[in-house]
Amino acid sequence: MLVGAAWALLAAPDEVFQGFPQRIMYVHVPSVMTAYAALAVVFVGSVLFLWRRDARMDRLAHSAAELAVLFITMTLLSGAIWGKPVWGTWWTWDARLTTTLILWFIYVGYLIVRAWAPGSRGARAAAVIGIVGVLDIPLIHWSAILLRTLHPQPTVFRPEGPALPASMLAPLVVNIVAFLVMFVALLTVRVRQERTLSALVEVLEGR
Amino acid sequence: MRIVWLMVGKDLRLEWRTREIITTMGLLALLLVIVLGAARSDPESAPAAMWVTYAFAATLGFTRTFSLERDHMTALRLAPIDRGAIFAAKALANWFMLTVVQVISLPIFGALFTEKIWTRLGALALPMALGGAGLAAVGTLFGGLITQVRLREALLPILMLPVALPLLIAAVSATTAILDGQSLPAIGAQLQLLGAFDILFVAASLVLFDFVLEE
Repeated sequence: MLVGAAWALLAAPDEVFQGFPQRIMYVHVPSVMTAYAALAVVFVGSVLFLWRRDARMDRLAHSAAELAVLFITMTLLSGAIWGKPVWGTWWTWDARLTTTLILWFIYVGYLIVRAWAPGSRGARAAAVIGIVGVLDIPLIHWSAILLRTLHPQPTVFRPEGPALPASMLAPLVVNIVAFLVMFVALLTVRVRQERTLSALVEVLEGR
Repeated sequence: MRIVWLMVGKDLRLEWRTREIITTMGLLALLLVIVLGAARSDPESAPAAMWVTYAFAATLGFTRTFSLERDHMTALRLAPIDRGAIFAAKALANWFMLTVVQVISLPIFGALFTEKIWTRLGALALPMALGGAGLAAVGTLFGGLITQVRLREALLPILMLPVALPLLIAAVSATTAILDGQSLPAIGAQLQLLGAFDILFVAASLVLFDFVLEE
């Protein structure tokens, strides 16, 4: 049901996606906001898992981490596609870009640990990485600003245009909401899947 | 605190007798200096080459943080000491070994890249120590985390390098400024970032190490 709602919301503003590269914003901004929301869920889930020893929290953090990597990938790709016509480059060492890229690496590492170390040991290791990764965000951002001020780039940075007109704000908000709903929907499905899996494992091991 | 020093002493004494970790770390560091120097040996590349070398030497050496205890983790877990103390001891021993690597590779950097390293030795010591401490903290936390994970040698760099990247950026930029002849107060921002990284990761590791060692 939730998935259905998410798809409906996604299909509705679809007509807005035409022509101009600027319209990538309707994917880019919701993606990055969803990605950070997912990271917040990973962090809270990891802390609660280590603290309360609740396997449900572990499944929540795991599912959210997968979605975080997905949405960070979407952010990076849509940003690069947007950056090429607008900034004239696919990539620049801007603070936000660098931070997002490093986060991608950290959470891909998280998923690799989960894949290579199944069971409770991998869950604990992943929880520690999930917490450390979020703690690292301000430091990464700070260091990226340092990097940029020391090596000024000739490329154009994010043009700080005027505040968004209402005609653009409305579809953007719709899209942000749609992405967040989709995130919650996917998260719910994924958590349910993991719950079934662990129930299955329990049954099989019980025999 | 006395327990921490006892454990550091034990680890370093064992390392002194086998010299396993320091030999591999040191040799890798020397090789990296040579390879990087062969690729580019202009003075501007020196800071980047130094920190790439230290980071890779660290990932190689810190994989073996708990190599001694891998088969006897239960003993370490049962020991009536705080888990934070275990982290502190392991991190200090790792920091010491990384410092040895830094010291023995410096002359080669001086010879291959820039002689300014000699005149700025005093100022360089601070970012090198702060950067080394941060690498040791992150490396010990993750090294402990993956002690019993398959493919840990491959996993440590994948986990450690992205998390340590802010530290490396700050350290490279501080080293560049020092080799350019700037004074320590001029690189306050970089030193602050290095210090903040060290404090954050030491504090986080002391809290999280409880869970790292659990069965």
